[in-house]
Amino acid sequence: MANFGGFRGGRPGGPGKPFGEEEFNLEQMEKETEEMLKMRFLDKKNAEFKATGGGFVSLKVGDEEYARVQVVRMFPFTDPDHYISIRTSDENSKEIGIIKDLKDVSKETAELLISQMNLRYFTPVITKIINIKDEYGYAYFDVVTDRGQCRFTINMGGSSVVHLTETRILISDVDENRFEIPDVMKLSAGERKKLDLFL
Amino acid sequence: MILKFDLKEEYIKLLGLKPDEELAYCVPYDIGDDGGYLKNSYVVISEERLFVLEEGKLKKEVRLDEVSEVLSEPMIACGVLFYTTGTALKDGSGEHAQEQILVRFSSKHLSRYAYIARGCRLLKENKKARVVSNEDETTCPKCGRALPGTKQCPHCNHKKQGLIHEFAEMVKPYPKTLLIIGILMLLATAVTLFNPSMQRILIDNVINKEGSTINDALLVILFMFILSIGIIFINLGKAYMCSKLGTNISSDLRRKLYQKIQLLSLSFINDRKPGELMNRVVSDTARINEFMADTFCNLLTVFIIFVFDVVIMLILDWQMALLAFAFIPVMAYISFAFRKFVHRRFHMQWVKSDRMNSNLQDVLSGMSVVKSYGKEEDESEHFNKTADEFAVVQFQNEKFWAVFFPSLQFIVSVGVYLVTYFGGIRVLNGEKTVGELIQFIAYVSMLYQYVGWITNLPRQLMNVVTSLERISDIMNQEPEIFDTEKSKELNIKGHVQLKDASFGYKSYKPVLDGISLDVKPGEMIGLVGASGTGKSTLINLIMHLYEVDNGEILIDGTNIKDIKLENYHSQIGVVLQETFLFTGTILNNIKFAKPDATYDEVIQAAKMANAHEFICRTPDGYNTYLSERGFNLSGGERQRIAIARAILNNPGILILDEATASLDTESEYLIQKALERLTNGRTTFAIAHRLSTLKDADRLVVIDQHHIAEVGTHDELMAKGGIYAGLVNAQLEMNAS
Repeated sequence: MANFGGFRGGRPGGPGKPFGEEEFNLEQMEKETEEMLKMRFLDKKNAEFKATGGGFVSLKVGDEEYARVQVVRMFPFTDPDHYISIRTSDENSKEIGIIKDLKDVSKETAELLISQMNLRYFTPVITKIINIKDEYGYAYFDVVTDRGQCRFTINMGGSSVVHLTETRILISDVDENRFEIPDVMKLSAGERKKLDLFL
Repeated sequence: MILKFDLKEEYIKLLGLKPDEELAYCVPYDIGDDGGYLKNSYVVISEERLFVLEEGKLKKEVRLDEVSEVLSEPMIACGVLFYTTGTALKDGSGEHAQEQILVRFSSKHLSRYAYIARGCRLLKENKKARVVSNEDETTCPKCGRALPGTKQCPHCNHKKQGLIHEFAEMVKPYPKTLLIIGILMLLATAVTLFNPSMQRILIDNVINKEGSTINDALLVILFMFILSIGIIFINLGKAYMCSKLGTNISSDLRRKLYQKIQLLSLSFINDRKPGELMNRVVSDTARINEFMADTFCNLLTVFIIFVFDVVIMLILDWQMALLAFAFIPVMAYISFAFRKFVHRRFHMQWVKSDRMNSNLQDVLSGMSVVKSYGKEEDESEHFNKTADEFAVVQFQNEKFWAVFFPSLQFIVSVGVYLVTYFGGIRVLNGEKTVGELIQFIAYVSMLYQYVGWITNLPRQLMNVVTSLERISDIMNQEPEIFDTEKSKELNIKGHVQLKDASFGYKSYKPVLDGISLDVKPGEMIGLVGASGTGKSTLINLIMHLYEVDNGEILIDGTNIKDIKLENYHSQIGVVLQETFLFTGTILNNIKFAKPDATYDEVIQAAKMANAHEFICRTPDGYNTYLSERGFNLSGGERQRIAIARAILNNPGILILDEATASLDTESEYLIQKALERLTNGRTTFAIAHRLSTLKDADRLVVIDQHHIAEVGTHDELMAKGGIYAGLVNAQLEMNAS
């Protein structure tokens, strides 16, 4: 499924959609468009999530069964535990339903979904800045994160540092890894000084 | 990109490989089951098995023939590698399929694992098949520094000789200029070094000497005056010659780069961001010019002066010389630290001003949105904030500059004060003359002055090395499509044959697979298929913008590789959906492919393209100047100019890529008519989503899933009731409702 990047030089557009009857069946399409409008909320009453043996999550909702679903945050930064979109796992993934609040599902299910989201999202939180060195347009970070010590490189020219709020920043390195500093004011004055250039 | 990392001997032992079992791939992964970082962990793939080595332990082993697929899936700033057993999953309903996660890795390895997944697929088909990646690493595997968009790391891989060689190549065409610069450098050195001695002579032999007359003084002063004027002219000449050399070199490089970029195939250009190539042509060459003018011009002078200065000082008074030298490390450190500090502060100012500018640009270009939602207040508040931030930083920097720069100079002169103090004592004791002291102080100041310059040198050199590296990265690139000795000119009649042609932009993902098609001269082919199925790719291959990976393309029986590129391209006409017109007049745009066309021919072509009428209505007729801010044509009008351009060229093969999409009905009618005239009797490949525009096509080719799915006339395909029939019916229904 390695569909990152897309094809450069080709015509922009979605990945190769299979041609088939359903694709061009007008009634079907209208039905699907209508369905996309509906908000279907999933909770412990109508949805049954299960861990697959291989590390993913399956879902049974009504008489629909999905061997694997994607668990996607709609507001990953502002509200990670609410409004979770459960989607089919194919390339043109479609929404199956929404979990409005993780409290709407059983504790075990919530844990399962959280672990699945932890698999999907990888944003180490920087807890300590050991050193930042800038050299020829790149800045080399040496930091401690909640996932362990880490070194990474950012491009100083681009928009590598994004301010989510006044004090919360998201840093993307040259490989598009992400690092978060939830509150720069919680860093020591010395650490903030090292980070000065990017605030 | 590296797909086979070196594995420690002790790790290889853990795998228990059979004697003939070769290692195919070895790539690191860095996220553990608990989400923490891992070190020394690898996915190792042999010809038969896949191993997971986690921190020195064999964690998992899978036989490749027991899995159906190994897949890599990108997630958010990370990715997973997993395998499936049983039938592959398509829509989540596959009951037998089972997916098993192998490892998780950060974004750093995302593309690497995409190749690995493809590599596993190849291994399953053929034990000896390997996937190769031409993508560049983002960081140097040796020193860990970010690579500035080059294959080689400018720090590690650039051998000193290579650099000097490249530099010599650059200045080679200008031996005279170089010689003059050399002479001027030596002159400048001599004069600079001689100046303090004159000061001593003035003081000791004239002022402090009894019986010297005003004439003696005037003579020495005149001599000093001549030296001062002389150094000005020498420096002026030196700067002039160096900037001349720098400008010549950079314009040479710019020209060579530009030519090279035009030679290189589209795949090289598409692999890079457009801004990046522009940067290399504009900024990197400018940096070399700058280096020649500012640094190179002083390089030799400064070094010779520095060495002689030291020697002269030691000869004059070795004790005081050592005292003065003791300060050099301090000075070097201060100068280095100061520069770093200043760089940081001013970089910050630059960041803030950039932020303010982009904010301003944002609002100005979105002014209609801001106004229509009545958000002027909010936006000006936001702008004021960024403007204030910038002002604060700017003010602080000015203040800092005003206070610290004089302080720095004071610190620098402390060394001179000490020399003056101890030297003064010696003068009072009669061990030294005043003139000698003055001369010595002059040498000390000179020494300190150049220390600062020299500490900055490594940075300057590194900058220029990086630029050189980025330039030679392009210069050393071999074009993928080029004329060979076998290439010949051909008068194209339009017989196009594709034989089992395959192609993919990335080696791990084919776009077209085994395409075979025989197009007779004068035939019109309509290409049909969903977006991304490879219609445009097929056209790119026919235009010979890319080389097929497998199979061949024949034009009038000759392999496309054996036709001279320029000759071939001059016989192809192209009309695309988004017409690109160059800045310039309508006339020049029509004449683009045939600059020697007569007015008669141009008007005839414009008339055939239904463009003549609207061109005559523009203020300056055919001489109307088209530019971004100049006269604007509508989409349909631009399209018709493009058609006129194609007609004028009288092409043997014509390519229409969505030529009539997104036009109003009237212009579509006019263009349709113009195209009918254009395609008449020419081999034509046309892509269109609106199938009615392909009604004149002799044959329709449906491309689906990288293959040709259906070929035939409209009636044949409708009768067949396949993909094409489905598409036509769907479009009819949509129009009806």
